[in-house]
Amino acid sequence: MPVDYLALTTGAVFGSALFLGGLAEPDKIVGALRLKDFHALRTIAVFVLVGMLGTFLLSQAGAAHLSVKPTTLVTVLLGGALLGIGFGLTGYCPGTGLACAAAGRFDALVSVLGMFCGALAYILMYPAVAAPLEKIGDYGKKTLPEVTNSSSAVWVAGFVILGTLILALTARPKKGGLSADDAPGA
Amino acid sequence: MEELLVRKAPLPWWAAGLLLGMAQVLAVGLKEPLGVSTQFVVADTQLLQKTHPQYVNQHPLIKSASYRQPGYGWWFDIGLIAGAFVAAALSGRWRLRVSTLWWQANRGPAVGKRLLTAFVGGVLILLGARFAHGCTSGQFASGWAQLSLSAVPFTLTLFLFGMVTARLVYPKAPGIEK
Repeated sequence: MPVDYLALTTGAVFGSALFLGGLAEPDKIVGALRLKDFHALRTIAVFVLVGMLGTFLLSQAGAAHLSVKPTTLVTVLLGGALLGIGFGLTGYCPGTGLACAAAGRFDALVSVLGMFCGALAYILMYPAVAAPLEKIGDYGKKTLPEVTNSSSAVWVAGFVILGTLILALTARPKKGGLSADDAPGA
Repeated sequence: MEELLVRKAPLPWWAAGLLLGMAQVLAVGLKEPLGVSTQFVVADTQLLQKTHPQYVNQHPLIKSASYRQPGYGWWFDIGLIAGAFVAAALSGRWRLRVSTLWWQANRGPAVGKRLLTAFVGGVLILLGARFAHGCTSGQFASGWAQLSLSAVPFTLTLFLFGMVTARLVYPKAPGIEK
């Protein structure tokens, strides 16, 4: 199996960013889901918006490598729910679980072990459960601009402008003053 | 018991988001959008190929070459692990831990149940990620980056169930450094 150095590099950039950005940190994730700690929510918002803008610009230049997943409505809703429960229980997801295990968290390593078992459970139940469920409400590999018959530029501009505005308006002042982050009990 | 205080992240939110967003742009420019969870199935397939080759050959999902032969995604995940390790070590934050502050604030110092919860949570996380064709990276972050329709229902149940579960398991907040 030859080493893919390009993959190692992009993976290392992402892994270090997850750690330095505080997403590979279960206390930050649980704090975000409890709406007590806004760091992770704001980080995720910027992550998504920058990724969206950059992906759009690369697409315009004809240099984007895209991989849109199929909207199989039942399995996507079910999968989101299961992953959400695991996310809320542990403060981990697949990427941050691996990153946290690498950063010395033994409970994350145990979660990763659980993930290998979850993957095996998926393999075992794919033929009888997942494959038939994927056929219900399968809308194919669609994007929002495609289903609304509008341009990507409108969607990206809308999300980026609205998102930046919300982030700026809810930002905590550097010194003094009150904001959402200072709410009692936060 | 000493006071439980969640430390600030190494980077402020805007720098953290910018760095993660640049990782996404790099990935989309070079090969494919960020994604992590498929490789857990690839890893299991490697094992099953040794123990149950017949089963793998006739399985509608893992008989395909993308699961049988580790490729880009495999090395991406190994790079992710290495990158997180180096970042933790260089920032002086690598530390052996068995529990979290939110867990201790609500469930006390015993670690047995934390580890059991971590395991069960891990099973649900990967099972859910595969049902949804992607996790918080491949389906949520990369889904929104590509304006994918599937990111909408996924985000809805991910955060709804995540928030309700966190509310039930962690009603009490520890201290949070500003």
